[in-house]
This record gives sequence, structure tokens and C-alpha cells, in this order.
Amino acid sequence: MNELIPLMVIVPMMAALLLSAFSKYEKFIRILALVVAICLPIIPLLSNYGLHYFGGYQPMTDNVTNIIYHPAITYSFNFMQQIFIGMIGLLTFLVVFIYLTKYKNVSGPYLFLLFMGTAAVTALLLTDDIFHMFVFFEILALAQVGIVAASSIDYSYEMALKYMILGSIGSPIMLLGIGFLLAITGTVNVTDIVAIIRGGLIDATSPVFLLSLGLIFFGWLYASGLPPFHTIKSGIYSKAEPHGAALLQSFTVISMISIVLIMFRIYSTLPIFEVLIVLFSVIAMILGVSMALTQTDFRRMIGFLAVGELGFIGLGIGLGTQFAITAGLFQALNEIVITALLFIGFGAIVNATNEVDTRKLGGLLAYHPKVGIMLLVGGLAMAGVPPLSGFQSKLMLVQASLSCGFPELSILAIMVSIATFVVFVKTFYSMFLSPKPHDLEVVDKDVPKAMVFAMFVLLVVIIALGLFPDVVTSGISNYVGGLLL
Amino acid sequence: MKLYDQIFDVVKKFKKLFSPGPVTNADVSGSLTAEIFIIVSIVIASLLLRHISVLLAGLVTLILAVVLITSIPLIPKFKIEQEDSLNKMLFYAIITLGLIAVFLYWGGLLV
Repeated sequence: MNELIPLMVIVPMMAALLLSAFSKYEKFIRILALVVAICLPIIPLLSNYGLHYFGGYQPMTDNVTNIIYHPAITYSFNFMQQIFIGMIGLLTFLVVFIYLTKYKNVSGPYLFLLFMGTAAVTALLLTDDIFHMFVFFEILALAQVGIVAASSIDYSYEMALKYMILGSIGSPIMLLGIGFLLAITGTVNVTDIVAIIRGGLIDATSPVFLLSLGLIFFGWLYASGLPPFHTIKSGIYSKAEPHGAALLQSFTVISMISIVLIMFRIYSTLPIFEVLIVLFSVIAMILGVSMALTQTDFRRMIGFLAVGELGFIGLGIGLGTQFAITAGLFQALNEIVITALLFIGFGAIVNATNEVDTRKLGGLLAYHPKVGIMLLVGGLAMAGVPPLSGFQSKLMLVQASLSCGFPELSILAIMVSIATFVVFVKTFYSMFLSPKPHDLEVVDKDVPKAMVFAMFVLLVVIIALGLFPDVVTSGISNYVGGLLL
Repeated sequence: MKLYDQIFDVVKKFKKLFSPGPVTNADVSGSLTAEIFIIVSIVIASLLLRHISVLLAGLVTLILAVVLITSIPLIPKFKIEQEDSLNKMLFYAIITLGLIAVFLYWGGLLV
């Protein structure tokens, strides 16, 4: 049933349009949003692996060079896409569920943004066309701006505007890079570009090819929130609604891995590509965690931690071996789940206290023990404590960097994990274990049940992936093996 | 006592970092951890230069260690540079683009 492959993008996109168009009909959009949100994680599970050619244009063989060209926009669906699209679908369902149960009046345009973002990241994962990737990258950036601007948190508009202005630099530069690539290869299909490069039809050290790498790489830094865009990325997380932030960070992780995998296929012949990825990943790890250590706003703290964790993903991909890339992708999957749990959990605390400053909070374990314990486990998973999922991926990354001959990177990865642990213990102590300040009023003692449910589901995933990592890593490893051929 | 005074001065400077609002023990401990973390991690990261030249790695590591330790506190400076100012974000975005271009142009054997 390869027909289901395009439906993974079409269903959320159509739902987004309908939700926006019929936003006046409250009951209708509630039902539609919930039904589509339930369908999203199911479609990738039902679909067969394979390729989908839009318009039905089959690949053609060039009789002179024997290269197979792909005239159609091609979607490629494999285990890696299945697991990530399934996880994004699950997260979208949980976020939509929280949103629908939290507010009496739901907004069609806000749901439009959530579903459009999901459609965009799904397309980014599936596409084998670099221009198609750019189009959905732009749609995703706009959806992210909208999700931040639509939140009721102070200065969210300002932060969204700053993100858009920075995007107006990052996106055109990436497009320029794609333009240069098109100019020298004559195609935008990634498989065709790779075949042309490997066939020696273009010089990989030509200035135009190198320039395209530099420009697309810069656009990727913006998409993934690696330095110098880590400040704005952590800023937009802190200014979005907690469930929105949970989805936003997953969008960032997916756009990071999908773009970097395309870049990896095209530019992996150049050693400098991997050097650049490792360099920016190390900077992200150092800056992200050190900034998180000094934060008093816990939303911002999680934002910086999320950026630091992105460095781990980049590290795995930058090392470039099958085991390292598998570790990086597994880390990406874990980060999506763990950070979402933390954003939702800390959002529940904001909901109960209307306070985000850790210095003004305390004694919350007595009021919210369930949330406290689930947050503790989530934080430990992020820090890489066994037997949780974060431990498995970080252990793989440490092993990968050791086997590649970079013990310094292993030491750095362990140090960052320890620092992450310190950040989390400090925050957890301030919020949950320290004496409750006299002036702190816990306004709403009941945390929304939908938030607790979402945290529980994510917690089960974290524990399951920690206990049985092979379920995911063996499939990802096979995919990466195919990528490196 | 000079080094002790310098470290004590660091703690005092951290107080300003958290203003307005009270400064708790956990906050100062966190900032001190960040201070040590950033120095150690940059020094360890500089060891990666051994893949280019062992002599260069040794020199850079030593120089960085001395420069970083003598210029503590680093965290307030890092924090100022990473605030939500659009000017600073744009500045560093352009600097990064320039750095990528430099890496690609003078990448030598890596390209």
C-alpha cells in the first residue's frame, strides 16, 4: 500500500486547511482535530516500505552514462522514516489532545499551525528532492513562528519576530546553496545528485560545489538551532505554550536530521563536511549546557538543554560511521520524547503556580507528586542515567567516538551528560524539594489530566526504549548501512 | 591569596548575574559549575587539534588554559553575548557565515 506514503503528508495538511476554513464550527474542528491526530501515528505503521513518485513519472535511464534519473518528486519510506513519523504522529496526538482538553474555546488557526508543522516535518523526512525539502523547511519555519506568536506568554510576539528575521537570513542563503547545486548538477533529486557526484561527472572540490555546501550548511544551522542560532531557538521554546514547545523541539530535531542526512549523502566525500558538523556540535554542547546551568527560568533552561542535546545528534552524524550515525539518530529519537516530556511536565507546573522562576518555587512535590516523579525520571533520562533511553544512545555515542579515535569527544560527551545531570538536580531541588516560599500560591491544585496522561505515555516510551533499544537501533542501523553504500 | 580573591570576586560577580531577585546557593553553585565546565570543555576540545599537529595542539591547549583561567569569570561574559538581543544574534550569524566560508576556502587537505 504505497498509496499511504503521500497520505502521511496530505492528511495533516488537508486537516490543517479544513480546521482553518471551518474554525467557526467549534464542535466540528474538535472532532476533526482529534480524529486526524489519532490517525497520524497509525498511517506510518500501516504503510509498506517503498518509493512514491508524484505524478506517476517513473525513473528513466540515460543510455550514455547509464545513470538513472528521477523526473518526479520522490518520497522514500523506510524503517527510519517510519519510526520518526510514527513518533511525531504520537507527539502531535498528545499535544492536540492536551490543547483540546485544556481550553474551552479552541482556535482553528492554532490547530492549523500544529498540523501544518507536522505535515512539513513528515515531508522533510520523506522527500528525496532538495527543493521540495526547502519548500517544507520554509513552511515549517512559518508554522513555528505562528505557534510562538499565538501563545499567551509575554514577549512571545517579539521572540517570534526575531526568529522570523533570522529566518529571513538563513532560508534565502540555503536556497542560494540549492540554486548553485542545481546549476552544476542540473537536477534537484538527491539520488540523481549523488549519482552524478559519485560518477565523477562534477568536481567535488570545485568552488561552486563548495560554496553550495557552505550556504546549505548555514541554512541547516538555522533549521537545527545549532550555534549561532541556539539563543533564538531556546528563546522560542520558552515563549511558546508548553505543549507547543514540546512539538516545536520535535520539529527542530526532525528538520535537523532530515536536512543533515540529505547533506551527508551529497557532501560526505568532502572530509570538511564532517569536521564542520563536529565543530558546531561541540560548540552547541558546551554553550547549551553552560547556559542552562545559569538559568533561573526553567522553560529557558530546558530550551538550552535541548540545544545542548542537539550537539549529541550532530556528533554522531559528524563521526560518519554506521554505528555513530545510528547512535546519533537514536539520540534524536530519544531527545524528541524526553524533551517533550520535560516541556509538558514543567508546563503543568506553570499551569499550577503561574511562576517560571525557580528561585520563587519550592515544595511542589507535596502538591504534584506524580508530575514530580515523572519529571525526575525524564530528567535522569536526559542526563543519560541507566537503564533509560538517553543512557543507551549516549553510551553508543561515547563508544562511537572512542572507536573513531576521538577520546576527547567521548570525554566531552560524558562531561556534558554530568553537567546536564547537575542542571536537572539543581532545578528539581529548587522546585520540588526545597521549602515552599511563603508567598507562593499554588493556584490550581489539579494538573490537567491530559498532561499527566501525555507524560505517562512518553515515560513508557522512554523506559521501553531504554530496556529494548535494539527494537529501534537495528532497523536504523540497516537504513544507515544503505546510506553509506 | 591572589587566586582566592579572584575566585571570591567571581562569586560576587555572579550575584549581579541573577539580579533582580534573590541569589540562592543553588544558583551560585550552578554558575560555578558552568564556569569550570566551560574552561575544562574548551581546553579538552582544543586537544582535537592534535589531528592536525601535535605541537599546535599542545601550544593552543596551554595558551587557552592560561588565558581562560586568568580571565574568570567567563560566564557573565558568555551570558551577555548570548542574550536575546537581535543585534548580537545577527552579528554572530554573519560571523559564522564568514567562518564557514573561511573553512571552505582555506580547508587545505580537508577539502
